[in-house]
Amino acid sequence: MDFFSTYGFLIVSMLFQAMLGLSLYIPLMTGQLSLASPGFYALGGYIAAILSTTVFLPEGGGKWESGTFPIIYVLIETVLAGLASALLALLIGFPSLRLRGIYLALATIAFVEIVRVLSLNLEITGKAIGIFGVPQPFINKFDYVVLALPLLIASAWFVYRLERSRVGRAFTALREDELAAAAMGVNPTTNKVLAFVLGAVLAGMVGAISAHFLNTWNARQGTFDVSILVLAYVIIGGSRTFLGPILGGLLLTALPEVLRAIAGIQGLPLFLSQFLLDGRLIIYGLLIVVAPLFYPQGLITPDLFKRRAVKTKEAGA
Amino acid sequence: MQIKRLLSLAALLGLASLSIVAVVAQEATETPTIEPPTPFDCKEGVELKGEPIKIGIAVAQTSNVALLGQEQVIGAQIAGEFFNNCGGINGRPIQLVFQDTAGDEAGAINAFQTVIADGVVGIVGPTLSQQAFASDPIANDAGVPVMAPSNTARGIPQIGRYISRISAPVAIVAPNAVAAALDLNPDIKNVAVFYAQNDAFASSETVTFQETVNKLGLNLATVQTFQTTDTDFSAQISNALALDPQLVIISGLAADGGNLVKQLREFGYEGLIVGGNGLNTANIFPVCQALCDGIIIAQAYSYANESPINQTFREIYKEAQGKEPPQFSAQAFAAVQVFVEALIALDNEVGLDTLELAELRTRLNDTLLNMTYDTPLGPVGFVSEGEADGEIIQGQFYVAQIQMNEDGQTGSFVFIR
Repeated sequence: MDFFSTYGFLIVSMLFQAMLGLSLYIPLMTGQLSLASPGFYALGGYIAAILSTTVFLPEGGGKWESGTFPIIYVLIETVLAGLASALLALLIGFPSLRLRGIYLALATIAFVEIVRVLSLNLEITGKAIGIFGVPQPFINKFDYVVLALPLLIASAWFVYRLERSRVGRAFTALREDELAAAAMGVNPTTNKVLAFVLGAVLAGMVGAISAHFLNTWNARQGTFDVSILVLAYVIIGGSRTFLGPILGGLLLTALPEVLRAIAGIQGLPLFLSQFLLDGRLIIYGLLIVVAPLFYPQGLITPDLFKRRAVKTKEAGA
Repeated sequence: MQIKRLLSLAALLGLASLSIVAVVAQEATETPTIEPPTPFDCKEGVELKGEPIKIGIAVAQTSNVALLGQEQVIGAQIAGEFFNNCGGINGRPIQLVFQDTAGDEAGAINAFQTVIADGVVGIVGPTLSQQAFASDPIANDAGVPVMAPSNTARGIPQIGRYISRISAPVAIVAPNAVAAALDLNPDIKNVAVFYAQNDAFASSETVTFQETVNKLGLNLATVQTFQTTDTDFSAQISNALALDPQLVIISGLAADGGNLVKQLREFGYEGLIVGGNGLNTANIFPVCQALCDGIIIAQAYSYANESPINQTFREIYKEAQGKEPPQFSAQAFAAVQVFVEALIALDNEVGLDTLELAELRTRLNDTLLNMTYDTPLGPVGFVSEGEADGEIIQGQFYVAQIQMNEDGQTGSFVFIR
């Protein structure tokens, strides 16, 4: 009980970050390095924060007591955020996906910046301070797991099936060789935009729940920093299977807090616990730099599964 | 279509609710008087014994907010040592539990939950208002009093019953600078306002400045915008100077603000200049050099305040850091002081040993709201009832004017009010 009240927030954040990693992974399936996820994440968060503080008010006005905001409203906001993200992704997907590689990455960074600057200047997004007092459907942060875990499982299952479907194989073909894929009759534009839209929908939905989860939403949520962080999930976790970004998101979100917890263990020498506390972000940064040297493909690679599959086959024969 | 309609409805309602918050904040500020506090009674030489009482300090020790957070850590550390030397809580030591919030919202929530689980009676933090909107509801739901050392946005004490702040909101501090300018030159009629459009703090601070100008019956001649990355302001300055202003008000950061001041003077502007909090740093001296002279800046803290507690604080700070204490350190010190004095009062009233932790936290919150304190910031009290409970009532504010030395490189803030 005590464990969940202290670390419940962290556990659910890990799930959310894993989904953000996944949302960046989907466009990557077609070979598109798009850093746009945080932009849609921010958009989804604003939709939920604005709706829940201005439209979904309790009967007779006033404020929702903590823990009484109906979950159905959260679900409605999540769906709306997903739809809005899909629409926006369609609009910007067609022109921007004509760019490739680093140029696409730059264009998506520009999109994230535009969202940030707009929300800093618009009245409706609360300008620099943002929107606060977002009503709570749960009293305990850990209870958000009933929203986060099913969404993660559903999106992971979706991507797992996608990788094995006709569309998924078209994605992979595009990633490996766009020219050859096009010659085989795979439409590059449609498939790339589809992957881009799917990633955007997931990021938007995660944003909508996160606005409730964080109590507040502001222009600092979907920024370039977040883009880079989410990219790190994919690089550390592995970019060739959907499990990679999920693992990366879980691990990298937990790490700073795990170091904080280790520093709090009784009986550690003072200098060590002080170093773990003050230097935990240094350790974090070092790991991000060092990990790719030892795992250039990320922690999880498809070979990991192949080798086991081959072994079991050999054992059977 | 549906979404569009909802969004435009949301926009309207959003505006309405914002203005409600603004009204509440303003009403709260119109209760300016507090009982004069009794100075803190230091009982030196008392031997400390018993289980220490924990106070959480959750501020930004890392990230780009750490420049401010580090100053708060120093202020809190000085307070921890000082109050333990003064006998702690009637002989029981206090222990400060530091947890880093970093610069983001999730970090603030994690740090708050760690100190709450650690059994603190109250929390000083977090550094940024945006972080407070994320982490304060958690402390409020857990029934742990929070004393915000540097949150100046609207709506912080309104988060809940357990949330208070020792940092006067920008809407109260900033107008003092304009009033001081009017003292220096009663003939001011036209005012030109400049602000950095891409900076969060500057764009909200300028609203306060513009309201003040209108309230004082001055003519807001023009509002010019710039970016914190700009280096050439000649277009904006020409536009403004054409309207013959006697006062220029600038909300920006050090580099751009300093450059703007320099170019204003080079264009021949000779009137008064008021700077916002972003210019409230010695870092602007190298930018505008000798032309910095005379910039007027409002302050929530003055190291020149002559109360004994401030002079003690100033001495300790100067000895350790070799410079005058900044506002952030003084506010963190004052936040710890509020907890300590309220704990002593509560101990005298019922005895802290007799209370369970949850009850102790609630009683502490009720006690601290109803007391007044003689802090390095001057006399301080709180609004103790209603929606805005926990809003600070600060007895005095300060206005400083920059005075540059003859070498044109170094200077100092001279307090004029």
